[in-house]
Amino acid sequence: MVMDAFLAQLWIARWPLFDGFLMTIGISVGAIVFGTILGCIVGIQLVFGSFLVKLPFRLYVDVMRGTPLLVLILAAFYIPAVMGLSLSASQAGTLALGLFAGAHIGELVRGSLQAIPPGQIEAGRAIGLRFPQILANVLLPQALRSALPPWINTGVELIKGSSLLSMIGVGELLLKTQEVIGRTFMTIEFYVFAGILYLIVNITLDVLGKSLERRLGARL
Amino acid sequence: MIPDENARPLLEIRDLRKNFGAVEILKGVDLSLRPKEVVSIIGSSGSGKTTLLRCVNLLEEFQGGDIVLDGETIGYRTSGGKRVRLRDAELSRQRAMTGMVFQSFNLFPHLTAAGNVMLGLRKVKKLGKEEAFAIAEKWLGRVGLGTRLNHYPSQLSGGQQQRVAIARALAMNPKLVLLDEVTSALDPELVQEVLTTVKGIADDGATLLIVTHEMRFAREVSDRIVFMEQGRIAEQGTPEEIFGEGRSERLNAFLKSSRH
Repeated sequence: MVMDAFLAQLWIARWPLFDGFLMTIGISVGAIVFGTILGCIVGIQLVFGSFLVKLPFRLYVDVMRGTPLLVLILAAFYIPAVMGLSLSASQAGTLALGLFAGAHIGELVRGSLQAIPPGQIEAGRAIGLRFPQILANVLLPQALRSALPPWINTGVELIKGSSLLSMIGVGELLLKTQEVIGRTFMTIEFYVFAGILYLIVNITLDVLGKSLERRLGARL
Repeated sequence: MIPDENARPLLEIRDLRKNFGAVEILKGVDLSLRPKEVVSIIGSSGSGKTTLLRCVNLLEEFQGGDIVLDGETIGYRTSGGKRVRLRDAELSRQRAMTGMVFQSFNLFPHLTAAGNVMLGLRKVKKLGKEEAFAIAEKWLGRVGLGTRLNHYPSQLSGGQQQRVAIARALAMNPKLVLLDEVTSALDPELVQEVLTTVKGIADDGATLLIVTHEMRFAREVSDRIVFMEQGRIAEQGTPEEIFGEGRSERLNAFLKSSRH
């Protein structure tokens, strides 16, 4: 049976594949955390920064969004090395994905902040809050809530995008799958298996996001 | 409450000038309020009355004149003969001395009624959670919303939302409360509950500066009425003087046009 043979090979390859899966998740989580922090800073500056402050952030966002992710990954892998910084492949990969996510999340946060009526800032001012306090207690809680659905979407993009890191030799799920295929020649079987794993993670994320959205949506 | 005639003015506005670009909105306004006085500003839209209120709460910059609140000149300092706008931290401290209630409520939608009232108490007055909640409970009770502490703004009617906004302003214990057309965004059947609440806080001795289109309410609640026209105070006086028989021709014209 073909299936039996595949399952036997899968059993043999279970640990490398599991390592690859963990690497995919780890890098994606790292990138979304880094990208979210960066994105909040970018979004806030794009809305409230002075013209001169906005300029470099705008440039960053446009460059990141206008460049293919694979090119960003290769750049993050080779440019620091030329500059004498030694980053491991997985560090460079996380950096590239994080910068990519930061630009997208920055735009999300910008849009959400701009959608908040100006009366909210005035109400905060009227009770004596300083601007950073208004940001932390009035604007960001509202902006992050409305940015949640597209934020989840960015997370899904990152998990899919992390497969490109196989190009610079990061041992994530796709590269590990290719290594197993190189040994077993069960090309279609293992690619389908990897595809299903990606699908399961992303659908789970999506469901999680939708239920969060429902719970928060009731209040706004 | 009868204001003390001899008390030092709580609010003193002197020759206030404000323009948006080339358009002059306020052309030299002088107005003072004594402690516990209730003053209503009436006038057609575009007369500058809302802008005046927003200047007092430093939500607008102004180009000339002074605003003195409880002896302190607010918003600007003079440095080398030049007017300089104060820094954000200073402006915030001065804004906390006045409370403001907006036409469009401006409640924080992600916070409950109690959370709305507590935010300033926690972050500006630095009170502990229990203490802030107790004050929120007291004030929401005072505006008749003691049973709605944990409701979100979206779960409240317009009138209830505006009463939360009133509680939010008063809980900060401001020296002066500014009310900017607080019933204009409400359905007619919800207007009365808000006006009754405002009447209540006036009777408790709050100092109020009110911008309103509700003439009957202004007459009922105010010690003094100020009629603004084209960026200036055209007339002021007791409600009897303003609404009574001997009123001027232009006031007559405005009152006639504003009757719905």
